[in-house]
Amino acid sequence: MSKGTEQSPKQSRLKNWLLSIDSLKIMKWVVYLFFFLFLVLPLISVFLVSFTGQPVNLLGSLVNPDIMATNIERLSNASLEHYASLLGGGTYFSALQNSLALAIGVSILVIIMCIPLAYAFARTTMPFKKTLAALCTIPLIVPTFISAAGFIIMFGRTGWVNTLYQSLGFDGLLINAYSMTSIVLIQVFFFFPFALWPMVAAFKIADISLEEASNNMGAKNWSTMVFITFPLAIPGIISAALLIFTVSFSDFGTPIILAPDGLNLIVVEAYREISGFFNWAGASILTIVMVAVAAIFFWLQRFITRNMDYGTLSGKPKGTKLNDSKVVTRSLFVYTCIVLVLPMLAIFSVMIQSFATTWGTGLLPRGFTMDHYTTVFTRSGDNIMNSLLLAGGALIISVIVATLVSYFVVRENTSKLDFMSSIPLIVPGIALGIAYIQTFNTAPLQLTGTAFLLIVAYAIRRMPYMIRSTMGTMMAIKSDIEEAAVNLGASKLVAIITVVGPLMLPGIAAGSILVFVTVIKETSITVLMAPSDWAPMSLMVFQNLLRGEVYTASAMAMLIIALVIILQSIANKMTKNSLY
Amino acid sequence: MGSVKVKNLVKKYDKATALKGVNLDIKEGEFYALLGPSGCGKTTTMRCIAGFENPTSGEVLIGEKVVNSVPANRRNCGMVFQSYALFPHYNVFENVAYSLTIRDLYNGSFGQRAKTFARLIHKKLGKPSKEIQEKVHDALKYVELDHLADRGVNELSGGQQQRVALARALVMEPSVLLMDEPLSNLDKKLRNTMRTTIRKIQQDLKITTIFVTHDQEEAMSMADHVAVMRDGEIVQMATPTELYSNPKDPFVADFVGSSNIYQGKVVDRKENGDSIVKVNDNTILESTTHTDKEDVEVLVRPEGIEILKNGRMEDHNVLEATVKISTYLGPTIRYDIELAGMEVMVEEEFQPNTTLFKEGDVIKVFLPAERVLLI
Repeated sequence: MSKGTEQSPKQSRLKNWLLSIDSLKIMKWVVYLFFFLFLVLPLISVFLVSFTGQPVNLLGSLVNPDIMATNIERLSNASLEHYASLLGGGTYFSALQNSLALAIGVSILVIIMCIPLAYAFARTTMPFKKTLAALCTIPLIVPTFISAAGFIIMFGRTGWVNTLYQSLGFDGLLINAYSMTSIVLIQVFFFFPFALWPMVAAFKIADISLEEASNNMGAKNWSTMVFITFPLAIPGIISAALLIFTVSFSDFGTPIILAPDGLNLIVVEAYREISGFFNWAGASILTIVMVAVAAIFFWLQRFITRNMDYGTLSGKPKGTKLNDSKVVTRSLFVYTCIVLVLPMLAIFSVMIQSFATTWGTGLLPRGFTMDHYTTVFTRSGDNIMNSLLLAGGALIISVIVATLVSYFVVRENTSKLDFMSSIPLIVPGIALGIAYIQTFNTAPLQLTGTAFLLIVAYAIRRMPYMIRSTMGTMMAIKSDIEEAAVNLGASKLVAIITVVGPLMLPGIAAGSILVFVTVIKETSITVLMAPSDWAPMSLMVFQNLLRGEVYTASAMAMLIIALVIILQSIANKMTKNSLY
Repeated sequence: MGSVKVKNLVKKYDKATALKGVNLDIKEGEFYALLGPSGCGKTTTMRCIAGFENPTSGEVLIGEKVVNSVPANRRNCGMVFQSYALFPHYNVFENVAYSLTIRDLYNGSFGQRAKTFARLIHKKLGKPSKEIQEKVHDALKYVELDHLADRGVNELSGGQQQRVALARALVMEPSVLLMDEPLSNLDKKLRNTMRTTIRKIQQDLKITTIFVTHDQEEAMSMADHVAVMRDGEIVQMATPTELYSNPKDPFVADFVGSSNIYQGKVVDRKENGDSIVKVNDNTILESTTHTDKEDVEVLVRPEGIEILKNGRMEDHNVLEATVKISTYLGPTIRYDIELAGMEVMVEEEFQPNTTLFKEGDVIKVFLPAERVLLI
């Protein structure tokens, strides 16, 4: 303090009080409040609504006694009647059945399809392995509603594949784009990379020495494969199957576009209940069911991977003996290419359509034009801007929250926060949207229909991925660097901002790009929650598809894909995460 | 201003007790070493002084003031970490300037503080004040690194990083300098140079320094006072010479230099108080130590034993022994000998005309009474 400034006792008391505040503790409470308000509270509200059948305004109860009274009355009338009707058959029950059947079927098909692939990548000298590996990640880049659009171009009534099929002399359609079959196909061929890479890892872990022992004892190569290699990889395979189940079960983009009228799926049903009929009771029951199912399978997957021994993953750099038999590697190469044909064709179809003047019946469009891109850039500049702004907003929130959460979890062992921040993993997008709409529908926090709530929803939904990325770098920062900053006079918060934060930048940057990318791709929350004056690119594609403006939709879709590929490759470079 | 006192410091963790009542009284300007094996509590003691650990009970006083409730960032202890803990995203200058910049961040008008904050985020966002520049360059000159101010810290050698860490701690003019095994990451030669550098700086600045180490040579060669710790307790506090020549305890004796230690019994006392002690039930030795105890530990340093050559005679403590192993160490020779059924180490200075004994040679050794310590 300089000599010239005399402070009144009151001022200095205030200063002392300000100094005594532990700013870090405040941040911790802010983070807790954030998760409580935008995650726990909406889920609790939805849970209560599923019993009462009418909106329950929990926040309102805190500020207004009248609302409190209404709520208590509604809660006292709570009953299991809605759940009973769910189990008693009817549309909800069949929706659940269909969704479960879809998810189980897709998981099984994906696993069967991926076993040879995973073996090829992990254990053979398959030609063009790196190129194929890169191609195998492309399906993940494409939002499912765009793949669905591609399927319509291929397998629609006038789709080129069906045209080709008929010109070969067959009757009817090869596959109907608007059917359960095509939904299954899209999910299988676009979700398989989710399972492939964990399975490759599982095949790599499996103990080579056991296999050598088996061969040594006279077993043939194929019997070693069947009796030793495969069983050892089983935990990894099951875990991958459970992951696919969750992804398929909560996928919104495919069914919302392709589900035919007769096919009831739980995500579509929930969407219709809330956006079509404002049926609080129905929507919330479906939400609870979705969360419950996702939670069970998520927990199962965690349970299985927990018992998996990853110990050998890091410690065994010695070269695995790869299968280099020409017959095996070449047939696996052909197989991999066949697997990649369908997703590539779907993306290719969207691309062709984005350049087409008109494309009715026929193998190829009548002519080619850049008009749709011109239209997209002149008429939909706003949508592009909105996407960037919304994604940017979500990114800022998730960077701040994820950095703080990783700090608290790594340095202070705050396991509660770790748990809370992983909850979004089990909440399907559509479920989170419904919970938000219900909770923030009325005062005091009337946020439904605002861009802010949409941004928060994006941020919450992608938070676990962001945290995974920042947590990794946080663990690599030794605590003494931070102690040094404190020792040199910085408060803990200042130490985090000036020292820990900058050192976490690589993780933050990689995580942010991934958040940005997934927000741009996001369908379910966007369709449910985006206010019309804030419509992002994905919503525009979606609406255009429904309206039948397929050409501009395709052009915009290509734009999204291009953006995603560019950003994702930057992120990959940053994290240098190469599987090979 | 710079004295440090620690009173009855106890630190308990969930399962273990790290400190069981540690007392220290370190005077201003003193160089104090905490010496002990790993896990003895020396680092915990230092972390309690720095404020990184909250003691379970007991008091820490810096400059006669109890600082238990003062947070670590306001204790004004400069600390040099074992890993140096330099900030990898800052260059040498920014590392050293950090404490001064932070000081600016907490003082001044809002605008000034915003500027300071910007500078902390990136060096291009603002220039440090003249005062800071001067202070940092002075500190860097002090450790002879002024020419490297713009280097990234990862481009420096281990010894240079060490000196940056030292400059960074000194620039804040701390009331106490804390050093946690600062030399353990350096090679042996560099370690010896740094010992001299650190000691010289400490003497120049007359700064109270606490130095944690497990290396007795380091502690003995640098410190004014040494506290030897074991299992969360201080075993002995003394000057280095006192510690070596008069260890209180076999643990200290063994930790501070190598030594021959045997069980013994005092069987008689001379008129002047000197003791006659029986070792290993078969050997009688005289010792100048005065003691009331009967059961004692008998300690003889290897260099305290003389090998009698060229017909030299002594009137007491002369024994016959057989050479088992002879090791040439350069300036000295070490013999492992068998003496009345005991294994004994003897160290002798090597001179060009020294006779070297071989394995199996029978020699006469002399243990001067003043070198035979009873503890």
